[in-house]
Amino acid sequence: MIEVRLFATFRDGRGKILEMSPDSVSTADDILNALSIPAEDVAILLINGFHSKPSDPVGDGDVIALFPPVGGG
Amino acid sequence: MSLTESQRTRYSRQLVMPEIGPEGQEKLLSSKVLIIGAGGLGSPAALYLAAAGVGTIGLADKDEVDLSNLQRQILHSTETLGIPKVESAAARLRSLNPDVNVIEHRLFISENNIDSLIAPYDFVVECTDSFDAKYLINDACVRASKPFCHGAVIRFYGQVMTILPGKGPCYRCAFRKPPEPEKALDAKKLGVLGAIPGVIGCLQALETIRFLTGSGELLTGRLLTFDGLDMYFQTIPLKKDPNCAVCGGR
Repeated sequence: MIEVRLFATFRDGRGKILEMSPDSVSTADDILNALSIPAEDVAILLINGFHSKPSDPVGDGDVIALFPPVGGG
Repeated sequence: MSLTESQRTRYSRQLVMPEIGPEGQEKLLSSKVLIIGAGGLGSPAALYLAAAGVGTIGLADKDEVDLSNLQRQILHSTETLGIPKVESAAARLRSLNPDVNVIEHRLFISENNIDSLIAPYDFVVECTDSFDAKYLINDACVRASKPFCHGAVIRFYGQVMTILPGKGPCYRCAFRKPPEPEKALDAKKLGVLGAIPGVIGCLQALETIRFLTGSGELLTGRLLTFDGLDMYFQTIPLKKDPNCAVCGGR
């Protein structure tokens, strides 16, 4: 399975941690589509802790983390 | 510069630390730090920098103290409602530590004033509450090779990173462009628990003190994220973007 961790406002209506089948997604972009998160709304996308792009491939066992832009002070 | 007897007592708990000591203390007392934003992040940052004996602290903010600020902006108080934040903050910092020369900059930062504002300072603490301000400060600091520490919070979440221009990624390398205005959700709309900027502002003060005294490894090339709901910290390695519009070629 692929583990998807959401932070801050991305959790609204989606939860904190989701699991997705590697059969249903092949790139980070597929995950964003499945979660209805536009790619331009993502400030940081991590695959296994590394800064990545939506077009990067994902597979079984990967951990994806998605952070929205945070501007409060 | 030699420390007075009063200073040796005031700073005694950090003077015995090998990472600070009398030499580090003298560096702090001769340092100039600018804090932009005297709100949720700026409050703890300013208090701890003043307490530690940073000799000159500039505070930049245009707003007045509002009742809705007091849930998190611990520099201010019920007694200072309606007073300019820089004035309220300066009085609190001077009362905490008369060693500190507090400079009040009552202004909104803009393209027209940012370069001259940051120029006299050794380090900038970015404690603002808008994306426009965060990018403006990043771009000006990179242009001027001025080190700074970024902080941001929302709800139970916070993040910190330190930018040393020329030595690692800048804010724009990590966050390529600001969100669209209608998607730039802030703490007024989404909320923030006061203790969250408390944690992040303290970390910004710590980064500043460690930069000024040359202690430890700064958060350069690393974004520290804090999840205060499930209570964990995470550091994310970040790379310089060779195509960054601001620091790409530097």
